[in-house]
Amino acid sequence: MKVQEIRELIKLVDQSGIEEFVFESAGSKLKMKKSTGKTTYAATPEAPASNVQHTTQAVQETPKAPAIQEAPVPEAPKSAADDSSLHKITSPMVGTFYQSQSPDKEAYVKPGSKIQSDSVVCIVEAMKLFNEIEAEVDGEIVEILVKDGQLVEYGQPLFLVKPE
Amino acid sequence: MQSSVKHKLLEVFSKADGDFVSGQALADSIGCSRTAVWKHIESLRQEGFELEAVRNKGYRIKSKPDKVSENELLIGLETERLGKHVVFRETVESTQKEAHKIAEEAVEGTLVIAEEQTAGRGRMTRPWHSPKYTGIWMSLILKPDLPPFKAPQFTLIAAVAVAEAIRDTAGLNPEIKWPNDLLLNGKKITGILTELQADSDRIRSIIIGIGMNVNQQTFPEELAGIATSLAIEKGEPVPRAKLVQAILKNMEVYYAEYIENGFGTIKEKWESFAVSIGRQLIARTISGTIRGKALGITEEGVLKLQDENGVIHDIYSADIEIEQ
Repeated sequence: MKVQEIRELIKLVDQSGIEEFVFESAGSKLKMKKSTGKTTYAATPEAPASNVQHTTQAVQETPKAPAIQEAPVPEAPKSAADDSSLHKITSPMVGTFYQSQSPDKEAYVKPGSKIQSDSVVCIVEAMKLFNEIEAEVDGEIVEILVKDGQLVEYGQPLFLVKPE
Repeated sequence: MQSSVKHKLLEVFSKADGDFVSGQALADSIGCSRTAVWKHIESLRQEGFELEAVRNKGYRIKSKPDKVSENELLIGLETERLGKHVVFRETVESTQKEAHKIAEEAVEGTLVIAEEQTAGRGRMTRPWHSPKYTGIWMSLILKPDLPPFKAPQFTLIAAVAVAEAIRDTAGLNPEIKWPNDLLLNGKKITGILTELQADSDRIRSIIIGIGMNVNQQTFPEELAGIATSLAIEKGEPVPRAKLVQAILKNMEVYYAEYIENGFGTIKEKWESFAVSIGRQLIARTISGTIRGKALGITEEGVLKLQDENGVIHDIYSADIEIEQ
């Protein structure tokens, strides 16, 4: 990635209402976070994830809760994500996360919902292919790690489950 | 129309064997007024029956609607696997729903097809106008031995298969709007909805739902500006069974191509139908709207959109509108 392109991105993010910004392209990852009115950035090589057979590019707004693969921010409260006894339901593909079948329907699950291995917990959609994600574990939903309508990556944790 | 009344009517016409039946005789046999008979005759016409009415003689059936039942589909089908097993229904809520029920035990290539959907659905469960005998309402079950992230390309593969079937069967040239809507003269002709049943590392089944407007002569007011049919565009009816056979044949060829060689050559074909490439598009997503110029699609079928600041967005999910 060229310095010029990074500069352009900083300018755009700076002018936007986005607080945090992550950009991944061809093995490099760029993360920006606004603080005290200034924009800072850090470019780090992306650790190769195992079993990932394709590279993807994604422009997305990240949620405030730190994603699993990122270094924890000191002031952030200790997330349930750090609890290794919890099972993570991950996304099997890149796409948009939908918590319900359609916007006017109730979410498939909420924190506290009891689930079985064949319970549908969400939909991940890309190019009008709708993938109903099954829990593949019995237990209880502890936390939903992504927002409705958010773009999720291959392998990205979507839910934390307390297994039974 | 109530199916019992219709069955009685068709039975009477069937006994007449092409001869005229008087309006009074029809009224007597179904137990209603002659005005009601006229109404039922009209709804038969809506369903594709050609009915001749002659003063002092009555009515006779000149031709029946073309059908997409198992027999019609299997005669002349040129595939090895796809569509060899047909689940045909006169009326279903949606073929997609039926296909879901049987997907686990169904053999690969099983086709669920119906003459009528009472609750056809599109993206995000939007309803789809699917009256009897006029369109193609089908769901195809595939079981490729692939990981789930290889599945989204099937929606673009289906779009190419259907576009070529329309071109070769009806002689019309549809355009593809990303990722898989088919348009004629800017109006929607076909919608494709694909659903996946998968474990985390392998696909169990892909259910490709295809809804095509074929022989409708009119559309409800709210759809007339945005939807059209092959018959309206061509000026004559198009045989639906032939279209289905062509879709299955193309789908089988490109399915094999994708498994063996990947998306490359299919991407080129997709782009040859995609007139929206190079034009200004509006991409509406659940988290916002992006306007930009369509640069093309990636090897995965992802839309690349360049906004006015030169930033290139990778679009995985959106409703696309072509800016005029």
